[in-house]
Amino acid sequence: MNIVVLVKQVPDTETERKLDPADSTVDRAASDGVINELDEYAIEEALRLKEKHGGEVTILTVGPEQATDSIRKALSMGADKAVHVCDDALAGSDALQTAYAIAQTLGTLEYDLVILGSESTDARTGVVGAALAEYLGLPQLTLANKVDVDGTSVKIQRQTDDGYQVVEATLPAVISVVEKINEPRYPSFKLIMAAKKKPVTKLSIAEAGIDADKVGLANATTQVVDFAPAPPRTAGTVVKDEGNGGVLIADFLASKKFV
Amino acid sequence: MVDFSLTEEQREIRNWVRTFVERELMPLEPEVLRRERNGEGHGLTPQELHDLRQLAKKSDFWGIQTPVEYGGMGLDAVTTALVEIELGRTFIPFSFGGGADNILFYANEEQKKRYLLPTIAGERKSCFAITEPGAGSDAKAIRTRAYKDGDHWVINGEKTFITGGNEADFAMVFAVTDPEKGANGGVTCFLVDREAGWRSEPIPTMGEWGPASLVFDNVRVPESNVLGEVGKGFELAMKWIGRGRYLLPARALGACERLLSMAIDYANTRETFGKPLAERQAIQWMIADSQVEIEALRLLVLHAAWQVDNGRDSRHAQSIAKLYGGVKANEIVDRVLQIHGGMGYTRELPIERWYRELRLLRIYEGTDEIQRRTIARDLLKGYVKVGASLG
Ligand SMILES: Cc1cc2nc3c(=O)[nH]c(=O)nc-3n(C[C@H](O)[C@H](O)[C@H](O)COP(=O)(O)OP(=O)(O)OC[C@H]3O[C@@H](n4cnc5c(N)ncnc54)[C@H](O)[C@@H]3O)c2cc1C
Ligand SMILES: Cc1cc2nc3c(=O)[nH]c(=O)nc-3n(C[C@H](O)[C@H](O)[C@H](O)COP(=O)(O)OP(=O)(O)OC[C@H]3O[C@@H](n4cnc5c(N)ncnc54)[C@H](O)[C@@H]3O)c2cc1C
Repeated sequence: MNIVVLVKQVPDTETERKLDPADSTVDRAASDGVINELDEYAIEEALRLKEKHGGEVTILTVGPEQATDSIRKALSMGADKAVHVCDDALAGSDALQTAYAIAQTLGTLEYDLVILGSESTDARTGVVGAALAEYLGLPQLTLANKVDVDGTSVKIQRQTDDGYQVVEATLPAVISVVEKINEPRYPSFKLIMAAKKKPVTKLSIAEAGIDADKVGLANATTQVVDFAPAPPRTAGTVVKDEGNGGVLIADFLASKKFV
Repeated sequence: MVDFSLTEEQREIRNWVRTFVERELMPLEPEVLRRERNGEGHGLTPQELHDLRQLAKKSDFWGIQTPVEYGGMGLDAVTTALVEIELGRTFIPFSFGGGADNILFYANEEQKKRYLLPTIAGERKSCFAITEPGAGSDAKAIRTRAYKDGDHWVINGEKTFITGGNEADFAMVFAVTDPEKGANGGVTCFLVDREAGWRSEPIPTMGEWGPASLVFDNVRVPESNVLGEVGKGFELAMKWIGRGRYLLPARALGACERLLSMAIDYANTRETFGKPLAERQAIQWMIADSQVEIEALRLLVLHAAWQVDNGRDSRHAQSIAKLYGGVKANEIVDRVLQIHGGMGYTRELPIERWYRELRLLRIYEGTDEIQRRTIARDLLKGYVKVGASLG
């Protein structure tokens, strides 16, 4: 079974993230790039499926040159190879365009399953999975916290607020995962030393079959109109407990509709 | 030319250790501090240490400097220094499993089976015993005596300040076998099992952990337990001490990085007289000086490690890095404590712990004075030329 894992490089959540005032896009030079956290869970799940069912795990990344770091890490975790779509024309693409670019690239690959994170930590639109499935005309299984493949069908537990739904589809399919699904492994030292030997195919948009008129900031379907930093936290109210502390807390929670 | 960039592998290994420290070790810090505050033991429990080492081993992080043919990673000196810097960012004492003292690799095949391999596997624990009550900096003055009795050697004497001596089940003991020759051919290293009859006594210190004093009272060891050759012990001792002096300041460097980050956070948030500390020049200068010294130390450490990797005589560079690291780490932790005011002095924060722990760096494995002595002697005798460190 061949699995493609979508990996996005995002600014490290540990460091301060900034938007570039010039064009309202993420200032990616301002912080270290890391693998989008949920994508590590996607990689882990793919590796476990491969260990069980055989086949190959391919990493697919759409992003700038520096995304190589994240690709290498994914290979050190155990993925077999990678495809890196890297082209200046992609800069500023929004979620829909990213999904389009990924869909086109997938057209050049053979796969039974596409696994991705359910949301990125930077743009956080959470729509790439759905848009991608639509572009590909494939079933989408979202928010998976458990995945089982059986022959030509795949069954997931779809996490909801109060439990889970069991959703089944035929392969090929697109699955997005949540962090409950597994515990991502650390890259292994031996694979770190061998990562250079694994094939990484770098594609321009032309090579990936992506139409230049459909990507990039100028052609984006959405636009960031304005942004502002989160307002600083205001000083809290100090309540002195004079025997009625419990009542005051209950009143406060009630006023905020928590109880 | 001078190239300060890391290889991709070095960056990945460094990031790996950084993630491991952030994910596995730092979350344990409050609990470790609490236990130490309450006198419930120091650092990690043996079980915690074991589990963490096994977790790292699953990703082949095992035996950092142990040669590949022994199942280790066989990392070069520069990469090992990068690993140590990352491990230094937490005060929790952690080292990867799968290591063994470098001089154990000089063991013969039969000794390797009994000592080296079980040590690498984590089944046996060693300690290195040269210092004596009457011989510290002047290691050549050791008096512990071993005399031959048939096919055995009989050891008498006392060792002190021996790291790991309380837990070790065998010791690498340096004893005089020929008083006429002394350190020039008269000292031998013995592998001595605890069952052979030596005793250890913990020595409380200002740090969280303590070394041991070891007593040898007619302890008999068979001839087959001589490590290396009879009379060649002092050379082995020097090899042990020279095994990686740059690694001590490397770990301290990691601590300094973390401490400085704490100071920056605190300076930005703590307000006095209506303004954050960060706006006071007195505080800014402490932060600036610390940063300059941290970066200088990084270059000294990596330069010494680079010399090791390139097969150069690194002793001079290692002494410089060890001396500078010891002195500056102590100045930096003192400043960081000062910036934190009363909070820095409490045991709620790990600063005072580091303050106590880093003090050791100026004493063991060659005191500041002994490093200066080495550095000065190299220059005064012309072994090293001023300004020639790049060759
Ligand atoms: C305010 C703002 C600023 C932006 N600035 C920039 C910018 O500077 N440069 C830029 O290129 N884009 C920028 N974008 C676009 C944004 O990064 C895209 O929307 C993004 O590529 C996909 O959306 P998402 O991250 O919300 O995906 P989500 O749907 O939240 O991500 C779900 C999963 O999709 C997969 N995935 C998403 N993106 C990729 C990818 N590129 N490659 C492989 N897999 C992927 C991952 O598995 C991820 O876990 C910006 C968007 C916004 C809203
Ligand atoms: C926690 C800890 C762990 C240790 N672990 C080990 C271990 O595992 N194995 C082991 O064998 N040893 C170990 N040691 C011993 C350590 O290496 C010695 O303490 C160190 O070498 C200094 O020796 P000393 O204590 O006898 O001091 P001394 O040699 O008595 O020195 C006292 C002072 O005089 C200074 N001094 C000495 N000679 C000169 C000189 N010529 N010129 C100017 N100043 C001089 C010194 O710098 C020092 O300031 C450990 C020590 C400690 C504290």
